[in-house]
Amino acid sequence: MANLSIIDKLKRSKILDLLQEGKRIDDRALDEPRPLVIDIGVIPHANGSARVRLGDTEIVSGIKVQPDRPFPDMGDKGIFMCTAEILPLAHPSAETGPPQPDVIELARVVDRGIRESGMIDLSQFVLEKDKSVIGLFADSVVTDHDGNLFDACSYASVAAIITSKIPKWEMKDDIPVLIENQESDAPITTIPISVTMGRIGEFIIVDPNIDEWGCLDARITITTNSDGNIVALQKGGSDGFTFEQLVKCSELSIAVGKKIRETVKQATEGGQ
Amino acid sequence: MGGREANVVLLDENGIRSDGRKVNETRKVTIKAGVLKNASGSAYIEFGGNKILAGVFGPRDVHPKHMSNPDTGILRVRYHMEPFSVGERKKPAPSRREIEISKVIKEALEPAVMLEKFPRTAVDVFLEVLQADGGTRCAALDAASVALADAGIPMRDLVCACASGKAADALILDVNNEEDQAGQADMPIGYMPNLGKITLLQLDGVLTADEYKKCIELGLEGCKQVYEIQKNALREKYFSSGDKD
Amino acid sequence: MKKFESKKRYVLPGDFITTAPLRLQGNVVLEGKRVIATSIGLSDVSADSVRVIPLTGVYLPKIDDLVIGTIQYIFGNSWFADINSCYQGMLLGQDVFGRGSYPTTSEMKERLDNGDIIYAKIANSDRQREPLISIADQSLGKIDSGELVKISPTKIPRLIGKHGSMIQSIEASTNATITVGQNGLIVVSCDETNGLLKALAAIRMVDEQAHLVNLTDKVKKMLESDGV
Repeated sequence: MANLSIIDKLKRSKILDLLQEGKRIDDRALDEPRPLVIDIGVIPHANGSARVRLGDTEIVSGIKVQPDRPFPDMGDKGIFMCTAEILPLAHPSAETGPPQPDVIELARVVDRGIRESGMIDLSQFVLEKDKSVIGLFADSVVTDHDGNLFDACSYASVAAIITSKIPKWEMKDDIPVLIENQESDAPITTIPISVTMGRIGEFIIVDPNIDEWGCLDARITITTNSDGNIVALQKGGSDGFTFEQLVKCSELSIAVGKKIRETVKQATEGGQ
Repeated sequence: MGGREANVVLLDENGIRSDGRKVNETRKVTIKAGVLKNASGSAYIEFGGNKILAGVFGPRDVHPKHMSNPDTGILRVRYHMEPFSVGERKKPAPSRREIEISKVIKEALEPAVMLEKFPRTAVDVFLEVLQADGGTRCAALDAASVALADAGIPMRDLVCACASGKAADALILDVNNEEDQAGQADMPIGYMPNLGKITLLQLDGVLTADEYKKCIELGLEGCKQVYEIQKNALREKYFSSGDKD
Repeated sequence: MKKFESKKRYVLPGDFITTAPLRLQGNVVLEGKRVIATSIGLSDVSADSVRVIPLTGVYLPKIDDLVIGTIQYIFGNSWFADINSCYQGMLLGQDVFGRGSYPTTSEMKERLDNGDIIYAKIANSDRQREPLISIADQSLGKIDSGELVKISPTKIPRLIGKHGSMIQSIEASTNATITVGQNGLIVVSCDETNGLLKALAAIRMVDEQAHLVNLTDKVKKMLESDGV
């Protein structure tokens, strides 16, 4: 995401000209996300996994479930952690080394959407209060970058979590011991779906691709839960939205999110 | 038996290994060339349970500049494992093991690539282990070589790789994770088949002088098998008839 | 007399081509007495030389090549353009404003800004420094309209065809104007949507099927058909 190559002016003016006619450079409607393809169980060694293609953006998410110590003031809850990384092979501009601010923002936005929705019932992850809990780690890696990593990483993480199997541990002499062959489904309460929208002039477009991303004035990511409530938000970009635009974005996120939630449900049916 | 763990049967009375293979058999290997949109060249390999993506960028500008060479291009390799690729979650930052493997893979590829035509530039090879199952460095090297050819980087030869080793007192081809953990020796080999040059060689374990010789010979057989699969992956991408649609 | 190894063969890096003592042209290397391919492509052995016509590879600037570039930034008195190579093209302010002139950055920006597309000539290229490019010619300069497409630079000779035959037949049957850069970048402009789509499809076809012998016929057939 850092210094995406400069978008050429021919493409930029084409994107802007088409928008005036209500069209987009890849023939989508303004409120239409790119085709979403979800494959589950792609990393059999992980406790859950998914590969997501949103247009030409590709993500692999893997879940690791393992015993851990609880956070000091959260002894009655398990641990949930979500990370995201842009692999250097995903784009010429991706860098190795410590994560850049935009990559950290990506990971935190994905994490927040899932965490705040209460998707996973973490109270079921306690082995011994204040001492030992189960941790669920959802790590996502971007393998091909064609814009809107927020939603692609979010869908991959959510699909991987839904399909994950939780091993059973029991406390023996203060140490969690794995009980073989006693896996259960992850305790899922809701399916959070993020929808990222960009503003170019007065136009709001859903799921901008990498070329459109280079033309955005501002963007917003809105995550909704299965009940259609808004659970997390993130505005980004060096410009703002009007109140009316924000209301429109919320409506779009609910309507588009509903359709994507169905796609995620279908893809993850039957678990791993 | 000289194994490190006695409770696994690595070789049964019929000479069949724990995963059903004969001693001189590799795991199933599939390679696809050109799988990434943004990279100059790429490949995906499944080598048994290993799943590895390779992406090549360049030749391109070198940052920081002082790393560049005014006479030739340089090769840079990063081997990296995803947090979910191994049994216990791996912390995302590169470990000493990953840094060493990056180096030996780079040195295995350097005799093959010809970067004299591209002074002051770098060719970057990124190897991402999505799932590890024993023998990742060989599988990663196999994928790297295909990705470099796909990127059009001039090469004297492809580099193919496969490990051989010893478990339950027998020499075996393509050591899997279990055999690596409980076996007696693991010897990854990288090979330029047309030039007959071994460019990667490591050994963990104990071999007699005679076993050492035989182990290399066995490993080279595996390399040659992988070489055919590498070539087919490139032929599939570049020389197919184009009449599929 | 039997023609000596004249048939083109598909080769991969490391593949043996011949032991004949021929002049080495491109994408081959001598290992002992054996001529070996160093690129994916088609081996081409003629009476006195041997080469591989590559199907993938990076563009290396050659003096007098015409290229298409995107301005990336201004530094000092020069523009730096992405010319789809391992080196950026350097366009001196003097080339545009005249010898001995020292334009300010804002004056330069007014002429050519980041993201602008230019058609340029490689004026100088050596191993030591960034290749110099020039737009000081009537036919060169900023490109204001059209669609920019990218194919493998190794396939540009095939797109142009013998004496320009391929590109001319694409232009003639689509009414498109096609500006071809040796570096694999192409700008296509056409007033008719159908012609534009057809020209783009033809270019894509050359990129994907440059290795096939009957490519010319296939492209012709596609151009003559009604749809895309």
